[in-house]
Amino acid sequence: MSDPSSINGGVVVAMVGKDCVAIACDLRLGSQSLGVANNFEKIFHYGHVFLGLSGLATDVTTLSEVFRYKTNLYKLKEERHIEPETFTQLVSSTLYEKRFGPYFTGPVVAGINSKTGKPYIAGFDLIGCIDEAKDFVVSGTASDQLFGMCESLYEPGLEPEDLFETISQALLNAVDRDAISGWGAAVYIITKDKVVKRYLKTRQD
Amino acid sequence: MSGYDRALSIFSPDGHIFQVEYAGEAVKRGTCAVGIKGKDCVVVGCERRSTLKLQDPRITPSKISKIDSHVVLSFAGLNADSRILIEKARVEAQSHKLTLEDPVTIEYVTRYVAGVQQRYTQSGGVRPFGVSTLIAGFDPRDTTPKLYQTEPSGIYSAWSAQAIGRNSKTVREFLEKNYSKEAPPSTEQDCVKLTVKALLEVVQTGAKNIEITVVKPNSQLTNLTSEEIGKYVDEIELEKQQELDKKKKRREEN
Amino acid sequence: MDIILGIRVKDSVILASSKAVTRGISVLKADDDKTRVLSDHTLMSFTGEPGDSVQFAEYIQANIQLYSIRENCELSPHAASSFIRQELAKSIRSRKPFQVNVLVGGYDTRKESPHLYQIDYLGTKVDLPYAAHGYAGFYTFSLLDHHYRPDMNTSEALKLLKMCIEELERRMPMDFKGVLVKVVDKDGVREIEDF
Repeated sequence: MSDPSSINGGVVVAMVGKDCVAIACDLRLGSQSLGVANNFEKIFHYGHVFLGLSGLATDVTTLSEVFRYKTNLYKLKEERHIEPETFTQLVSSTLYEKRFGPYFTGPVVAGINSKTGKPYIAGFDLIGCIDEAKDFVVSGTASDQLFGMCESLYEPGLEPEDLFETISQALLNAVDRDAISGWGAAVYIITKDKVVKRYLKTRQD
Repeated sequence: MSGYDRALSIFSPDGHIFQVEYAGEAVKRGTCAVGIKGKDCVVVGCERRSTLKLQDPRITPSKISKIDSHVVLSFAGLNADSRILIEKARVEAQSHKLTLEDPVTIEYVTRYVAGVQQRYTQSGGVRPFGVSTLIAGFDPRDTTPKLYQTEPSGIYSAWSAQAIGRNSKTVREFLEKNYSKEAPPSTEQDCVKLTVKALLEVVQTGAKNIEITVVKPNSQLTNLTSEEIGKYVDEIELEKQQELDKKKKRREEN
Repeated sequence: MDIILGIRVKDSVILASSKAVTRGISVLKADDDKTRVLSDHTLMSFTGEPGDSVQFAEYIQANIQLYSIRENCELSPHAASSFIRQELAKSIRSRKPFQVNVLVGGYDTRKESPHLYQIDYLGTKVDLPYAAHGYAGFYTFSLLDHHYRPDMNTSEALKLLKMCIEELERRMPMDFKGVLVKVVDKDGVREIEDF
């Protein structure tokens, strides 16, 4: 139970739809079994690229700040926002830099390439191995439950509204079977020219 | 020239280190700074280089800097060099407080600053600081005013009233004539007035080019606004005028 | 088993910390102050490994004061808390990490709002209406969940704090020698003498 990646608890999930992607996280931050905060968001964005970070909360904050720093520098040098594919490589190399003293997080990238309009999602292990998926990626303390939910609810080519419903149900039902996830959720539905963020009410136990 | 002015760490045959003496020249060219001890306050004043028409005096860095809540430092000489000394003194003040659980004494900061200045007269590849400083304040839990001076060579000394920089000789002579060690200015106002008066000996442009900071025991620092300084200037000018009129009258009577 | 508690209300933050210093089975001191003033409107309370905690707190205090002297401007509570978090996050991956948990209470004079941050030794920072470190939370959070309202004033908050302390005195196995209570508001930091 002193495993760093399950001290604080929390989950992140992303899904691909038709010309859209979705990424969602829960809002709990705990210390073992004690709930500490119900407003700890685990999704950050850098331009039009979204990054979800589950795992050890201190590393979630640190990494979100590291990537803010790196993407800001990228923007100044390249005079454009970073694309999801490039950002994925950046995440991978940043994590692998700490191969022998890693950040205990499970990052998830989601976004739509602004040039090609192609939806893109990817997940990583804690040292930066990329898992490029065409359907969904899951991460966090309820990842097993999420795999089960996504595997059964997901179908390819969903419209934004249906994708929202699918990812929300997957998240909600997964965190209810995990004692250290939940306490509210945030869902982002990302299309080429619009991002919708919604907070979900969940069980408060 | 003789070649002895090239390398810093080399004596000339008659025992001079020229680079250090040249640093003294830089100080003499710097704007004037004055420090005066009162009965229970220290006043530090300085001349600011003339504010240009489009310069913003409000956000142009001050020539009197806070080192810790109870210590101020003013300088004459190279402005840019002074920033290094100020930064080092500030870090030392915090570090002293952190490790010794006691704020620095005025003598301690002075010795530290002078120590830094000395180091830069004895190692290769560096040049001395073209800066003299006046360091003033009150030691923690003490009510006796303190005033010290440091020089580019690393010399430091304690003073009742002192002036450094351009025309400092004139100001020092003024102070020697108008300051009594036995009866220092008894009130804060008298002390500020004497400081302004001393500075007016060499500053022509008046209040807008003078900066004044008053230090009192228990970390009470006050920077006077240029309006407040202006009041002192007007008062002094009025007195001078009255003096002049009196003299004129006396002459007419004779 | 040190206790530190914090409550943020409408226009102030209250930090309470136990006055006992214990080593093993002995109480070594009964009037300890587990807080440090970081700037005019920011206060930090801390618990953890003895030695580490005071060292860390005074290191933070020195750096924040150095900042205010250098920049001639007070660091906001948010900025101060981010600095502290970063120091702890650096520390956790060093050879000998600081074992210190802190609460930062402050009043942001620009935004005119009080703030309370909880930061643990790992560098986990959260902005909370009420916070605690150690065992104190287990006994008091339920009370706070029930009685806390964000629009409370300082005296109501002190009343609520009193309930929490009474509960702790009743349930904690050890005498923590009462608490030192400090309030941070627009006028700065002050101690509540007769709590």
